Formats: sequence, C-alpha cells, structure tokens
Amino acid sequence: MTEDFEKRTQEVLEESAGRLDGRTRSRLTQARHAALAQLAQPERHWWRAYIPAGAAAAVAVLAVVIWSGGPLGPSPTGPVASPVDDLELLADVEAQDFVDDGEDLEFYEWAAGEAES
Amino acid sequence: MTAFVTLAGVYSTSNFGAERSRDQDLMTTSRALDQFLSSVEKRAFKIAQLGLRNDDDALDAVQDSMMKLVQSYASRDAAEWRPLFYRILANRIRDMQRRRTVRGRIMAWLPAREDEEESDPIAEAPSHDPGPAKRLELDEAIGVLEIAVAELPPRQQEAFLLRNLEGLDVSETASAMGCSEGSVKTHYFRALANLRARLGEVF
Repeated sequence: MTEDFEKRTQEVLEESAGRLDGRTRSRLTQARHAALAQLAQPERHWWRAYIPAGAAAAVAVLAVVIWSGGPLGPSPTGPVASPVDDLELLADVEAQDFVDDGEDLEFYEWAAGEAES
Repeated sequence: MTAFVTLAGVYSTSNFGAERSRDQDLMTTSRALDQFLSSVEKRAFKIAQLGLRNDDDALDAVQDSMMKLVQSYASRDAAEWRPLFYRILANRIRDMQRRRTVRGRIMAWLPAREDEEESDPIAEAPSHDPGPAKRLELDEAIGVLEIAVAELPPRQQEAFLLRNLEGLDVSETASAMGCSEGSVKTHYFRALANLRARLGEVF
C-alpha cells in the first residue's frame, strides 16, 4: 500500500518534471552552458587577488622605515639626507634607470665626494 | 647550439603533449559534467520550484548550484557529483528561504506598492487544449500533489523529493541533506504520512 503510494507520487512528480515549458528548459540549458564555460577559463589563484594590497602594504612599511631613519638609525658620520629626499629618489624612475644602466657607479660616488670636499 | 636546439625541441614537444593531454582531460570532464547536469536539471528545478514556490528563484538556485559544482567539484569522481550537487542545491534553497523570511519581515513594515506584480493576461489565460481524459486526470494529480509537497515542513520536503523524485538512496540523501541516515528515514516517513493523510482519497 505504502509502496503503491510512493510509486504513484513518483510517477506524478516525474511527469511534472518532464512537462517543463520551453522557456524554463531553455534557461536551464543556458545555466548549464554558463556553468561549463567556467572549465575553459584559466585557473585563478586566490592569492593573486591580494597582490595589489600586499604591494601597497610593502610600500607603506618601506616608507615608515625610511621616515624613521631605517632600522639601524641615521649614520653618525657623513651628510644626513632627509627622508623626503630618499622617498623622492625611490620614486624617481629616471634615477633608477641611471643606476641600472651605469656601470661606473663608483666613479660617480668618487666625483660626488670630490665635489663636496 | 645544436644541443640547445634539440633540448628546446624536446621540451616544446613534451610541453605540447602535456597541454594536449590536459585539453583532452578537460574535454572529457566537460562532456561528463554536461551529461550529468542535463540528466538532473529538470528534477532539480522541480525540487527548487516546490521549495521556493517561484520559478525565477528556482532557476537561480539551480544555476548557482551548477556553477558551484563545476567550480569546486569538477575534479571529483563523477559518482560523487549527484549527492554533492543536491547538497549544494539544498543549502541554496534553505538560504533563499531564510532570506525571504527576513525580507518578508522587513516588507511587512513597509507600505504596500500598488504597481507591483502586474499580471500577464496571456500567461494567465486558460489553456484551450482539451487533451485526453488521462492527461486531465494527471494534470489534477500534479496540481494537488505539488501543493501538498510545497506545504510540507522544509526538511520533510527535502527528504521526500530527494528520495522520491531524484531517487537518491538513504545514504546519498543523508549526505545531500547534511544529516544522519536515521534523520532521513524519520523525515521521509513523516512526509509520506503527511501526504497520505492529505492525498489518500485522490491517490
């Protein structure tokens, strides 16, 4: 008796599921295709989303370290550059290129020393 | 130089081979998932429709579940997809029911809008297709059963639909519902008793 009832309800529900209208069936197909399209997309790593925030935090830490005179404190001898100068140097792209390209860094340091003396 | 060219050639060939094999794996998985999803989508929609009593919400729930399954479990064994998919769907339906309850409470405080839910006369027009007597009888049975199932308590409804419509066994239903097999049996038994008490004469 219970089995008959279960079987009957199952048949009725199956019939109902099979009678979905064209619009619903079409939307289900679209949903399936949209879900499967994810497989074709390249794998995304969750940590990549944090790269910009990490870079910003690193710059902030660097700025604080420079501003407070560095981990070892200011040098007791020699000219003391202001923290703002250091930041400007770091931010100066042309200066970076100059350092990257120049192989005569020692010469420029010597020339700067000569000029000061 | 020759050795370098040879090594580069070997590397690119093996790389190409690995890429090709990965593409084939992807294609096989995609085909298997497509087959799986198309085999369950109509019944899944029916389950969501009875749980949410709204076609658009039901479609959203099914689509979200499909997305989640593909996104998180595509690499799992195909035999695991069915209970996983229905677990995701059951959770989604529960979330939407909860959200709707909260929204209902908030909306009860707001004044009703008169321009809401404009009815579509074409959609609401009665069908003039007479159909055979059997079809009419089935139509009536579907209507009565769906109302009764929609009014079951949520857990009983879940157990009934997963067991009866989707044909999951007790252990798969327990996995999909996130409860013990004993609870599934209790919910299912109560659902059947409720439905029989209500539909006994019709069925």
